[in-house]
Amino acid sequence: MRLTRRAFSTSLASLCAMPALIGRASAQTATIKIGMVAPVTGPAAESGRYAQIGAKLAVEAVNKAGGVLGKPVELLVEDDQTTNPGVVLAFSKLAAQSDIIGFLGPIRSTQVHALAPDALKLAKPVMIGGTDPNLTHMGNPWLFRCRPNDSYSGSVIADFGINTIGKKKWAIVHSTDAFGTAGGKALAGALDKAGATIALDQGYTNQSQDFTPVVLAVKQSGADILGSYFTFENDNGIFARQLRQLGVTIPYIGSASITNATALKLAGPALYGTYGVADYAEESSDAAKAYGKLYRDTAKVAADNQSSWTYDAVNVLALGINKAGSTEPGKIRDAILSIKGYPGAEGEYNFDANGDGLHGYNVVKNEKGIMVFDKHIESKD
Amino acid sequence: MDLALQLLFTGFGIGAVYALVALGFVLIFRATNVVNFAQGEFSMVAAYLMVVCAVDLELPYWLSFLIALAGMALLGIVFNLGVYYPLRNRSFLPVIIATIGASIFLSNAVLALYGPQPQALQGWFDTPGIQAGPVYLDSQYLLIIGVTLLLVLFQYWFFEHTLLGKKMQATSQDKEMASLLGIKVSSMIMLTFVYSAVLGGIAGILVAPVLFVSIQMGSTIALKAFAATIIGGFGDVTGAIIGGLALGIIETFGAAYISVPYKDGFAFLVLIAFLVFRPQGLFGERVAEKA
Repeated sequence: MRLTRRAFSTSLASLCAMPALIGRASAQTATIKIGMVAPVTGPAAESGRYAQIGAKLAVEAVNKAGGVLGKPVELLVEDDQTTNPGVVLAFSKLAAQSDIIGFLGPIRSTQVHALAPDALKLAKPVMIGGTDPNLTHMGNPWLFRCRPNDSYSGSVIADFGINTIGKKKWAIVHSTDAFGTAGGKALAGALDKAGATIALDQGYTNQSQDFTPVVLAVKQSGADILGSYFTFENDNGIFARQLRQLGVTIPYIGSASITNATALKLAGPALYGTYGVADYAEESSDAAKAYGKLYRDTAKVAADNQSSWTYDAVNVLALGINKAGSTEPGKIRDAILSIKGYPGAEGEYNFDANGDGLHGYNVVKNEKGIMVFDKHIESKD
Repeated sequence: MDLALQLLFTGFGIGAVYALVALGFVLIFRATNVVNFAQGEFSMVAAYLMVVCAVDLELPYWLSFLIALAGMALLGIVFNLGVYYPLRNRSFLPVIIATIGASIFLSNAVLALYGPQPQALQGWFDTPGIQAGPVYLDSQYLLIIGVTLLLVLFQYWFFEHTLLGKKMQATSQDKEMASLLGIKVSSMIMLTFVYSAVLGGIAGILVAPVLFVSIQMGSTIALKAFAATIIGGFGDVTGAIIGGLALGIIETFGAAYISVPYKDGFAFLVLIAFLVFRPQGLFGERVAEKA
């Protein structure tokens, strides 16, 4: 058979078009991919494991309910090594895969700040757990928060301490990273607004081995109540133990890390009787109860916010894509922002224009190692 | 005054841990002329061995302690044979890089075997501490200080009053001369690695109830211990101890009276000052180069 010019051209064109055709065909049958950056290694690897379990449970639930746009959801996890360079690298690896529709970012604000410029360039939805209020107020339309931000936790801690416990002279201890600084500032602002006195505002660096100077500063300040923002549970554990050893017995309300399973395990009795503001509290709603049971059946430990936020993030993202009826990022963004009254494990989602889904916190009390739901306070801010 | 006393006690306790790890640095440096950057990981491995024995297997605390130390002695032998011995005739650089590699390997091996979860380990005593007037004495810090003092005394006796100790000293001072005198240099170096691994292990086990057991615990301590070694004078046993204690006290007082967030900065400011103004450290000898 002679190869004519027309036959050659047709064959060449077919060959060139084939990858695109195959890609299109496979795209039509493929899964809806969600990328997730999580600390598989590094100091937060344990909480990273919980986060992955939460996300996988949500993927199973979504797929059981028919998937997204009629297709099953697939979760792709990259290790962020609990570092800022690590999270940027992990996010870049996922972002390079054009068929990933949306992402789950980190729970640590400092890491969200690190990847935010890349998320802006990529222009695809990134669900985040970082609670620094600035994250959704810095002109990046692609960050959607599935936890209440620290301006709410600050006002809830202040509200509970002043109005429920009845104390007005505060000591604030916070990490000096983005999360801790923003949290400390939010609490100080809320206390100032409520007319309370701040006797001490003390920062510390993460992974400190000894908190004696901080504890002694709290003791000397004469404060009658303590509020804290700890990033790492082992720091919170060391601090709590030294606090009790050095005889500081004032009421203590911590940010969400004080309620985490790891902190409870490490600190043990040192945290008994303390309060925490928790985005997740099992007794706070029917959705939270159902998630708590599902998680306990799978992970054999009680659920905490490390997993509940990723569970909600996958569900909210899936709901957003389904509402949008498309995988086009702009349409998904609009659909997520229009979500109102969605009952998540963390609370009822009512997205505002900034991308904040939740606006209140649960206050829980550590009763001999078990977190008992006290009350839900919706922020007035 | 009460505050200063409390800080002094805590600084002493933290410093004693740095001193123990620094001793391991010094011993290996004197025997082999290289810095073992896996010294901190020895502490971490021993703490995990303790968790496995005392928490997971629920063995008696003293038995777990002995098993952990035996494990560390074995690790010292394997480390010597696997990391140092094959490179013993090379310059110091490949050996140092090998110890960094070993450090990464040990961290990741423990991570793969035991998982990333930080663990809590009970202290040796049931009583968390005692109130002595205005100062609270944490029982674990008391134990750390006591064990450090005992080990320093043991080390003095061992190196000054036993034949084996003198052989090890001779090896560390001049390997060729020691060899000519009939000392088995390779055995002495092996023994040094075993002793250093056990020392690092003791530090890790002692500090575990205070800092919790985690993959990162070794590197955090080792960094400070390394600074303590330089401050004390690299290669000097007394210097390592004084350097460690001084570092613990400086950072604790610096945090309390100047700034908590810059706590680590004080330690390294002192280190930089020593490197600039007294590079031989507190007890090191000035090294003059031949023209």
